Amino acid sequence: MLAYLIRRVLWMIPMLIGISLISFFIMHLAPGDITSSEAAFDPKSSEESRQKLRELYHLDKPIIVQYGLWLERMVHLDFGHSFASHQKPVFWAETDKEGNTTPGMIQEALPITLLMNITGLMLTLILAVPLGVIAAKKYGRWPDRSITLFNFIGFSIPGFWLSLLLMYWLGVIHPWFPISGLHSLNYAQLDFWQKCQDLFMHLFLPVVIPAITGLAGVTMFIKNGMLDVLSQDYVTTARAKGLSDRTVTYRHALRNALLPLITLIGLSLPGLIGGSVIAETIFAIPGMGKLFYEAVMMRDFPVVMGILTIGSALTLAGNLLADLAYAWADPRLRKGVIPQR
Amino acid sequence: MTNRLSSEYSLCKKPLAAPSQRWVAYLLCVGLVACSTDTPDHSAKFFDQSYPAQPGGTLISAMPSDPSSMIGMVAGESASLAIGSYLFNSLLKYDQNLDLAGELAESWQVADDKKTITFKLKPDLQWADGKPLTSADILFTWQLITDENTHSPYASDYQLVTKAEAPDARTFIVHYSQPFAPALESWASLQVLPKHKLAGQDIRTTSFAQKPLGSHYYQLKEWRHGEYIKLEKNPKSVLGPANIDHLIERIIPDPAAQFLELMADNIDSMSMDPITYARIIPSRPALQARLNQFKELGNSYTYLGFNLKRKPFDDLRVRKAINYAIDKQEIIDGVYLGLGITIASPYKPGTRWSNPDLIPYTFDPAKAKQFLAEAGFEDTNGDGVVDRDGKKLSFEILTNLGNKQREKTAVIIQRRLKEVGIETHIRTLEWASLLTNFIKPGDFDAVVMGWGLGLDPDQYNIWHSSQQKPGQFNFIGYNNPAVDKLLEQGRLEFDPEKRMQIYHEFAKVLYEDSPLVYLSAGYGLTAIHKRVQGIMNPVPPAGVSYDSQKWYIPQPLRRTQIQAE
Repeated sequence: MLAYLIRRVLWMIPMLIGISLISFFIMHLAPGDITSSEAAFDPKSSEESRQKLRELYHLDKPIIVQYGLWLERMVHLDFGHSFASHQKPVFWAETDKEGNTTPGMIQEALPITLLMNITGLMLTLILAVPLGVIAAKKYGRWPDRSITLFNFIGFSIPGFWLSLLLMYWLGVIHPWFPISGLHSLNYAQLDFWQKCQDLFMHLFLPVVIPAITGLAGVTMFIKNGMLDVLSQDYVTTARAKGLSDRTVTYRHALRNALLPLITLIGLSLPGLIGGSVIAETIFAIPGMGKLFYEAVMMRDFPVVMGILTIGSALTLAGNLLADLAYAWADPRLRKGVIPQR
Repeated sequence: MTNRLSSEYSLCKKPLAAPSQRWVAYLLCVGLVACSTDTPDHSAKFFDQSYPAQPGGTLISAMPSDPSSMIGMVAGESASLAIGSYLFNSLLKYDQNLDLAGELAESWQVADDKKTITFKLKPDLQWADGKPLTSADILFTWQLITDENTHSPYASDYQLVTKAEAPDARTFIVHYSQPFAPALESWASLQVLPKHKLAGQDIRTTSFAQKPLGSHYYQLKEWRHGEYIKLEKNPKSVLGPANIDHLIERIIPDPAAQFLELMADNIDSMSMDPITYARIIPSRPALQARLNQFKELGNSYTYLGFNLKRKPFDDLRVRKAINYAIDKQEIIDGVYLGLGITIASPYKPGTRWSNPDLIPYTFDPAKAKQFLAEAGFEDTNGDGVVDRDGKKLSFEILTNLGNKQREKTAVIIQRRLKEVGIETHIRTLEWASLLTNFIKPGDFDAVVMGWGLGLDPDQYNIWHSSQQKPGQFNFIGYNNPAVDKLLEQGRLEFDPEKRMQIYHEFAKVLYEDSPLVYLSAGYGLTAIHKRVQGIMNPVPPAGVSYDSQKWYIPQPLRRTQIQAE
């Protein structure tokens, strides 16, 4: 097991290099660089100054040299400085001689996105597991049909539309929730509990809406898992033993039905740091989605590469964790009854 | 995100393109019926009372994107410069009629040979921390901007200064190797930075960009990146204190969300697109009753530009034919809901530099066909497209993706040109790709784009024949010795009256030459809550935000929750 673990972790290194190489090249295949943004198309600025800027950022060098320079910095876990945002550090905060700290861009955006997405994921699971179980138990009857219908509606509604609708309804007509932003303007003056409440109110709509629209997939996943399991012989055996329906469903069936969910959660790990451009733009939340989108549009290569690197590292880690958790949760895998993937 | 509400043609008749805006428009229609709170009530009248000016209060506005830094001269983007203009002073400024006036400078003198400008500073200037602001700070800022390692995009104008000196604390002298009239504008846009804070720092990484210190009406109090910027009145402001205590700029990228915040009275001011101004707000009387709406011409225009190095655009008759074939008013009415005007020169109409004798090219398809015939273009094979020497008159119009206004403009142009027998194809490209693959190498037929201009009339970079290298701004390849000469003269002439003559003549030559089709100059539209009083009415040529330090929010009209702060 340990050898397997070490092998998997070592394998991640060439994979990461490969991923970063490909993303670096794809990013540079896109036409333009930091000096060709729409804002830079200002007749007051000169082409010489743009050329100087390209030289400063080594954008005039061959792409393989640029990749080498980037890789060299990455070996020291130095994510570099943003081209676009006045040389703000991409990841870690930096302190200058006078003790003033400039926070890193990812460092600022990541906690916000993580908070949103983790609560969103938990909410989705809390809702999806019971709904999936009910739908499977009452398969083909009205609870199943109404859950399917609800999921279908949630899945079909465009998130931004629902967002604007609810922003208008719950923000303007009945001003219960703030419309946009993450903190109230007087946030600094609030005490701890008021701060929590403030954050909760601001995050309510941005978290609940994607959870509702994303519910369908997970519910269907659990429902199908349950249906598979419920028709298996051991469930029939359990029932024949005279176990209560509750015990059969939750102790015997659900446990097995939840196994594939481990993979699903493992795979959603990189998504947790991804963030959603649309939701973040509509709700004016400075998260990772907006950061990445703007960096791509500005051709801010260090930021794009920083986010991609963290994302791919997390994807690999997520896969590994999912496999490990699978082996831990499923004795058949551990004992080699089913050949390991 | 770049989809703008303004691009919509009509709220009810046509399908709306930008998804989020479409739904907000729909919502608002529904809201009209469903929402009973939206009837005019006493509050509108309440805000109509006028009060004497008094200090205090908080003004909350929305801006679409977070500035990257507070040092606009280095960051080179508009959000940074906009916030910077609250924090930093310049030597000169433009007064309400767009004439130059002193800001830090008490007076300025252009020497007889026009190569030296001497600025005399006002007495007792100081930074917000109480340290004196002297000519040494201005000299330092000039050195900083022109320094190779600063990489300021605006360095070129300042690099023309051969020598700058600060002989005493209140005198600043700059020498040029030859007269350069736009210099005065450059000294009106240089935001003066404090030497005692920045000396010895690396300008590109300094934390001053996050925690600036200025001398203007406001100073930075709090900046939550991507959320809001709080500015606080600077009691030591060199121009005297402003009325409003706090300015808060909330960063709300989505225009629909901005509008919802305005409806919920969480923000006082936002800039609008034509559909908000012309359709949505008028349909909500209660909201309209508590807003002042302002309409002012911006310093920008959209155009259809030709690649003059390519056939058939080297032929004046073809250019004129296209100009006459396009109905500009139709574009203004359709794309901008009438919130724009036609122009005949590359200057804002109504200003000194705009030549009042020129009348925009009319819509005249007959004339267009006549010019085409003169140029030898006729429809010989009856396919509806004119041709010459067996070649169809057919070209491609490029514009940037995501700018709905330009995309729609291109479609309207396409249809009008088809009527006179010119075939066009429209291609929209992402900005960077358009710039890198087409504009820079000069590989295009025609483009629908726009120019945003400064207040100085000098347009050397756009029109002079020497500015055609890849990456420079005369990418249409305009080459006219007469215009070159006028542009050179304009740079040498400091006298506003004489300069005016030069630029009127310049605009006339351009008009005759028709190197591009001026499509429209759009209005900037701003909504400001009526609780903000003291706004200049009518809007002066310098714009609605001119003298905003004199705005005030009377005590009875302030927001209660903000007062608690």
